[in-house]
Amino acid sequence: MPSLDRSVRAESATAGDGRPSDADVVHAVLNGDRDAYTVLVQRYQEALYRHAEQMTGRPDVASEIVQSALVKGYEKLDGCRDADRVGAWLFRIAANQTKDYLKDRRRRDVPLQEAEPLSRDVDPEGDAERGELGDRIRAALARLTPAERQAFVLKHVEGYSYEEMAELLGASVGALKMRVHRAREALQPLLEVYR
Amino acid sequence: MKKELQAYLDGELSKDELPSELRAEADSWDRLLADVQATVTSEAPVDLRESVRAALAARGTRSAGRRAVDWALRPRTVRISPLAGLAAAAALALFIVWQSGGPPTPATLDTEATVYIQFALEAPSARSVAVAGDFNGWAPAVELSDLDGDGVWTGRVAVEPGIYQYMFVIDDSEWRTDPNAERYADDGFGDRNAVVVVAPPPASS
Repeated sequence: MPSLDRSVRAESATAGDGRPSDADVVHAVLNGDRDAYTVLVQRYQEALYRHAEQMTGRPDVASEIVQSALVKGYEKLDGCRDADRVGAWLFRIAANQTKDYLKDRRRRDVPLQEAEPLSRDVDPEGDAERGELGDRIRAALARLTPAERQAFVLKHVEGYSYEEMAELLGASVGALKMRVHRAREALQPLLEVYR
Repeated sequence: MKKELQAYLDGELSKDELPSELRAEADSWDRLLADVQATVTSEAPVDLRESVRAALAARGTRSAGRRAVDWALRPRTVRISPLAGLAAAAALALFIVWQSGGPPTPATLDTEATVYIQFALEAPSARSVAVAGDFNGWAPAVELSDLDGDGVWTGRVAVEPGIYQYMFVIDDSEWRTDPNAERYADDGFGDRNAVVVVAPPPASS
């Protein structure tokens, strides 16, 4: 389970630690303190980057997506309706940009293919043959559809509840459970290693 | 996969609630998922924050010319509700330094102690940082220094006890509000000044 400061869960005000709440920072930025936005950047860049990197498999693309999403978040900050949940709001911006990237890549590279591989420089079949566990895990994840991979990673890597995922992704809890279940089915052959 | 095992992995059942014949498989899943977590976790590049900051900076900075005209044309007034407590501000980036004793300076001739405001700003990409405030007529004449090159610029100004507003000036052109000030005040131009309260020195016994 990730620690709170690495997730997009809301950062609340606490009386004693001196850390401003998300809402405090949002209000400061909206009142003209541009530099206060760096607090949000520092607070959420890791969670946004991890998601983008896991979805695209490309660190360079993930960096561009996160930078673009954070800049867009700054420019559209007055459209964030719940300042206490600005982390989730930024996540949705980054997730939408990630989705756009994947759609665009699919249009260009792999039209109409349901199970889109990651573009990271991995060869799923070759990795499986090499047998190294990390490679096998990455290869198995790479064979999932983007939606399944996203749901699985949020559930089992980031540690979100289905309700939190539904809020982040705008999908129903039932649909998300189905994606995670399918992802686990796809990973089941790896279970042999652990029996 | 059995429904009960899915429910366990979904966090809806505890391991104790699983049929005994499924617990070994649940353990296997726990180990596999721990390895998945260790495998796919990645860290953001160290320069990501700075690249976001640069991208934001490229989207416009305040006009030095306009601010200069503003100084000349609009006298600053302090309109602040009563403020109390210096400790929180000092804990962040702004420190009030009481210098007692020592060789006399012009500012110490009439008082027993000189009061300084010590400023600090993290600005690793800046070439120069100055501070301007109503203690010096809003002229960015107080240059801060970064002698050790760690990106934190510091400097201090001798003042009388009172309430002061100030801003930093980066590279002689960009006005920046102190992100670590405890208090802020509307500057009347759509921006905010940082505010610092300098209390009188404690009475000497």
